Amino acid sequence: MSDPLTRDHTELYDTLVARRYFAKFDTILSYLPRVAAELETDKRLTRPETRAIAGYLEGLSRTFRAMSLKYLMTGRDEAFTGRLTFDRHEGGFPVANELLFMTNDAAQAAAHLAGTPSEVELKDQMIRQIVGEQTLPTRLQFALSQRLYNQMLVASGLFLARNDVQGLWLSEQKGRNRWLLEWAVYDTLLNLPVIYLLEVEDSGRTPLLKDERRWPRVQAHLMAQSINGLKLLTIAQGFDTDFEDLHPKSFRRLHLGPMYSSSFTLQTGPIGEVLAEARAPEGQDWALVWTLEDLQSERAERQKSGWFSSVERQIFALDPFAGRGPESGATAIHRFIILPERPYQVLADRNPPGFRDVTRYVVGAGGRVVKAV
Amino acid sequence: MAVNFEAKIRESEDIVKRAQDRITEITSRVDEARARIAQGGPEIDIENASLEDVHRHTEVMNANIAELIMGLDDVTAGFSRDFDELRTKTTSEKLIGIFSRGKSESMRQERLRAASIDSKLQDLIAKSDTIVKLLEGQLGILNEQKVKVEGNLAETLVDRETAVAELETVRADLQALDPRIIELENRIAVEQDAAARTRLETELADLNARHNALVQDEQVKLAKSQTLERYIEKGKTWVDSLQNQAATQMVLINKLRTDTQQRVVLYDALSKSLKTAQQQDVAHRINEIGVQTDKEAQAAMAAIGTATNQRMAEMMEAHEDHMVFARKVLEQKAKADERFARRFAAIVEKHDKNLYGQ
Repeated sequence: MSDPLTRDHTELYDTLVARRYFAKFDTILSYLPRVAAELETDKRLTRPETRAIAGYLEGLSRTFRAMSLKYLMTGRDEAFTGRLTFDRHEGGFPVANELLFMTNDAAQAAAHLAGTPSEVELKDQMIRQIVGEQTLPTRLQFALSQRLYNQMLVASGLFLARNDVQGLWLSEQKGRNRWLLEWAVYDTLLNLPVIYLLEVEDSGRTPLLKDERRWPRVQAHLMAQSINGLKLLTIAQGFDTDFEDLHPKSFRRLHLGPMYSSSFTLQTGPIGEVLAEARAPEGQDWALVWTLEDLQSERAERQKSGWFSSVERQIFALDPFAGRGPESGATAIHRFIILPERPYQVLADRNPPGFRDVTRYVVGAGGRVVKAV
Repeated sequence: MAVNFEAKIRESEDIVKRAQDRITEITSRVDEARARIAQGGPEIDIENASLEDVHRHTEVMNANIAELIMGLDDVTAGFSRDFDELRTKTTSEKLIGIFSRGKSESMRQERLRAASIDSKLQDLIAKSDTIVKLLEGQLGILNEQKVKVEGNLAETLVDRETAVAELETVRADLQALDPRIIELENRIAVEQDAAARTRLETELADLNARHNALVQDEQVKLAKSQTLERYIEKGKTWVDSLQNQAATQMVLINKLRTDTQQRVVLYDALSKSLKTAQQQDVAHRINEIGVQTDKEAQAAMAAIGTATNQRMAEMMEAHEDHMVFARKVLEQKAKADERFARRFAAIVEKHDKNLYGQ
């Protein structure tokens, strides 16, 4: 495991450490829908977008629960239980391969369930072994954990490595339908979940979602372009060019991470110092960063596409300060940090320079989420 | 290709199933043999012939699975075609390029934007997982059988210790009898009184009878001990063989796991890097230029050239980094391949020369 592509990947060997890792994510994920709601209040997101995000967050927490079942017995019986690999460096999330293999597991889950004894039977066998042989029923525990894992896979509703494009009708204006297209991928290079939200105007004759000719092509195109290395502008312009009667108006990309934690991840810079200084108790030692890229269409122009025809092309508003640094290819980029009270106190005290324009959300007991001013 | 793979998988499943049947059969024979010994019934021979048969069969099975793994390499060869297509123009694009360079380029860009290797990656994972499951099933059976036979052997060793101890006792008893018999015989030789002589002779007859019984007992005990010893020898050979087979399975599983993991990471990184490098941010300038006439656009394209050179260079540098990763990963893979090749030299040769079915 020493090649550069996987150098940051770390395996969790210990049963308790693995369970703590999943417990941490369970806590973190429980706060996130409220954070999304806060973003909506601040007009960073629209209501349908917030709902879409909430759906993906729900899926993400189901995926983590499924993964925690898959690796419940990590470290107990080396020959049979696997180990979770996650991205330790500035990431904190499981590596994308985990999700790809989970997709593969899901395809076989039904067959697996049909071939294994039921939950009741397994528990019965466990009791027999505990009472009869007076030994730990590790194998049976493993079998049960895998059964529960596969049950979750069959139940669906998971956040997978690729979550296909879904459409939502928003409104109709001047004979044009407005759609919200939403999809999400687990970025394979960053190892982070990324949500895409695209509002398009549809000047086609058949409504997009019912158009058998356009809709599958749109879905395939957008999924194939969901690469983190591509700027929003590149993706939006490519889409605008390839689909003449679809006009991208607003395009947003939300990175749900990285997650920092001084006990699990390695980080450099201010956030590492903040977490180290906070010395927060178990369950409070983390910070999650969200990045929201936002691209808005400024105006539309007609462009000749042949001798007699012309098509509409979007001109997008770009960040006026883009000339200074690396070009962002977006109208604006917002960063948010979500963290518990203890690390927040330290962050507020130190107020490191890189964090001035980062919106902070403080989470506390009872699922409270407060925006720090 | 897919059909071929499916058929191959089914064939291998079949062979694995048969191999497993034979393995369990041998183990149950080993079991049965022990039961017979315990009952003192006639000995069942675990013949060398059937052990060899199992070995032959596992050879066939391993060769088959090795071929499957090589088959995966053929599947992955499809990826490099995809990568080439990301870099170059297709034939029809070249053809159109003769008439209109712009049209040809925009066709290529559109194809590039729609290109994705995700389903292929998922397919690769699924196929490799199928083989791993097959191997793991086999490994599970081998380990299970090994534990069974080992448990059996441990008990048999105890049995044999008991048998040997009993044999020793009988022999000691026999040795103790000898001087008494000699003594009696001497006393009979010198005894004058007829009544006393008769008594002594009866005593001697009793002792002799006992001696004979003990000698017979010794034979039986010796035979039992030898049977147990033979049984232990065979059992040990069987455990060794199971262990070897398990080791082979582990080599195969490891090779397949690392290969697949690395392939997925590598192919994914490479395709994304290519896609990004090929379309990166010409879009930027086009947006700023907005929409102008063709003539102006042409001039603009030249401007894009200079303006984006820097960024393209950076992109290509990043791409180079990826290629460095790729090379390192490939080196690692080469090492794994070498280990694999050593173990399966014959099949590799067949595969390379494409000698299947000849």
